[in-house]
Amino acid sequence: MAQRVGIVAVAQTKYHPNRADANEGELAYEAIRQVLQETGLGFSDDGDGISSAVTCSQDFWDGRTISNLNVMSYVGAHLSHEDKVAEDGVNAVYTAMAQVLSGKHDIVLTVAHMKESQGDKSIIENAAFDPIFLRVLGLDFLTAAALQAQRYMHRYGITAEQCAKVAVKNRGNAKRNPYAQEPMDITVEDVLKSKMLASPIRQLDAKPVSDGACAMILASEEKAKKLTAKPVWILGVSNCYETHYLGDRDLADCNALVKAARKAYGMAGVSDPLKELDLAEVSEEYSYQELLWMEGLGLCGRGEGGKLIDSGVTQMGGQLPVNPSGGMLAGNPNGVAGMARVAECVLQLRNEAGDRQVPGARLALAHGVTGICGQLQAVMILGTS
Amino acid sequence: MTEKPGQELLTVEIARPRPYRWSTGKYLGRLYKEAMENKRLVTNRCPKCKELLWPPQAVCGRCKVEAGEDWVAMSDKGTVIQYTYLVFPLWDPHYGEKLANPHPTATIKLDGGVYMVHFLEEKDPQKLKEGMRVQAVWKEKQEERGRGLGDILYFRTIEE
Repeated sequence: MAQRVGIVAVAQTKYHPNRADANEGELAYEAIRQVLQETGLGFSDDGDGISSAVTCSQDFWDGRTISNLNVMSYVGAHLSHEDKVAEDGVNAVYTAMAQVLSGKHDIVLTVAHMKESQGDKSIIENAAFDPIFLRVLGLDFLTAAALQAQRYMHRYGITAEQCAKVAVKNRGNAKRNPYAQEPMDITVEDVLKSKMLASPIRQLDAKPVSDGACAMILASEEKAKKLTAKPVWILGVSNCYETHYLGDRDLADCNALVKAARKAYGMAGVSDPLKELDLAEVSEEYSYQELLWMEGLGLCGRGEGGKLIDSGVTQMGGQLPVNPSGGMLAGNPNGVAGMARVAECVLQLRNEAGDRQVPGARLALAHGVTGICGQLQAVMILGTS
Repeated sequence: MTEKPGQELLTVEIARPRPYRWSTGKYLGRLYKEAMENKRLVTNRCPKCKELLWPPQAVCGRCKVEAGEDWVAMSDKGTVIQYTYLVFPLWDPHYGEKLANPHPTATIKLDGGVYMVHFLEEKDPQKLKEGMRVQAVWKEKQEERGRGLGDILYFRTIEE
């Protein structure tokens, strides 16, 4: 990159199954307020304040055709600049970064906010399918993910126990994350005995309905160094789409992720991610996805996601801890999840991750996903230098 | 029955309801509560520009500062700034039905200073004019209130 872009402050709300006490704007502001206070920044066009905001939310989840409507005042957008990104939070961070690189804005606020509790998950997800051809089948993300899980497990002999280990690890890690919604002491047996949702996915294999927000401030290299002693740099980033129609894909593959990861590693100069990365935060809406995404990210060979979790490499204390925060399984809303992954990496790289700190973390990977069976994949590499 | 060209091109209709449960949040919630319980309009004041916000909210969008808890009760009387006379029924998003017998939609500057968008009782185009003085007509039964602006039926022309 021509110049570096730094993340100077991050904040999250505690994730919660139903924040009926707050509307979207108030919820988003809980996170925004923290980054404003931490940096002492206000909103202004004079180069010394926040001159642009990138918000991340989704109209169908929000129930209106401009889901940024309710946060406009809270992001300083009155007679000012704001853009909405409607997919994953990693893409919002990407867009904020691009605004800084454009030279038009030195300091940009980005916030992802979502109240999944306000809508009907299945009905809303069904609307992600093509309305003329596919919606009539009543498909939702869960049904689609179950097809993918079944195909992946069948093709490579991945077991339900190996998937369950992801749920055990991540909900266990969540016990050390004060923002996590579902910290849990569970066993593989608990997961395998939990209610079947859509075979082979069970209740504890799936993320819970979640409300929450995540905010961060990005700045040009020069401003970032003035704003904080511990800037975290975006070293590489890429996203890639798969085709929409499930019949066009072997669901045991995740080619979009392979490509996004390769590009992000290339930008960041990472050649052996398993060795070079200190931690990864990935978006796993369902337990099997963490295994499959490991393969897509090149952290193990194709079909070896099961072996990787068995080996303990991805546990806290392992060679590459994956989801020290607890990941999406511990409770993040769609859309917010990717930005939460970036925020968690930033906390780790600033040595501010508290009880979930990976000692000496200097290089981290954040992964975001949106759509049916990981249709959109986004990868960001973050570092301290 | 003769086959018309293009008959094979069908349309697909999905009329499934998509329910939502939106939270009013703390600030808007206070207005809703006052309207429901006391037929009263309240809002909060920006500490910087001293203007009343509408609807009530946690920050002043204009000044980009936190608004705080300086609450005031407002008169439900005001002056018509602009209006439109409808010739077709509006959509009621709560019930998914067309609103029968629509009243003109108007922007009304309440005496407290905020701009309310609502209906006028007066339906005769000859009698509609900018500068009309109007007052809210509330739904009488409390059990029918609790829907914010929906707690007011319309604004009635008043003589002063």
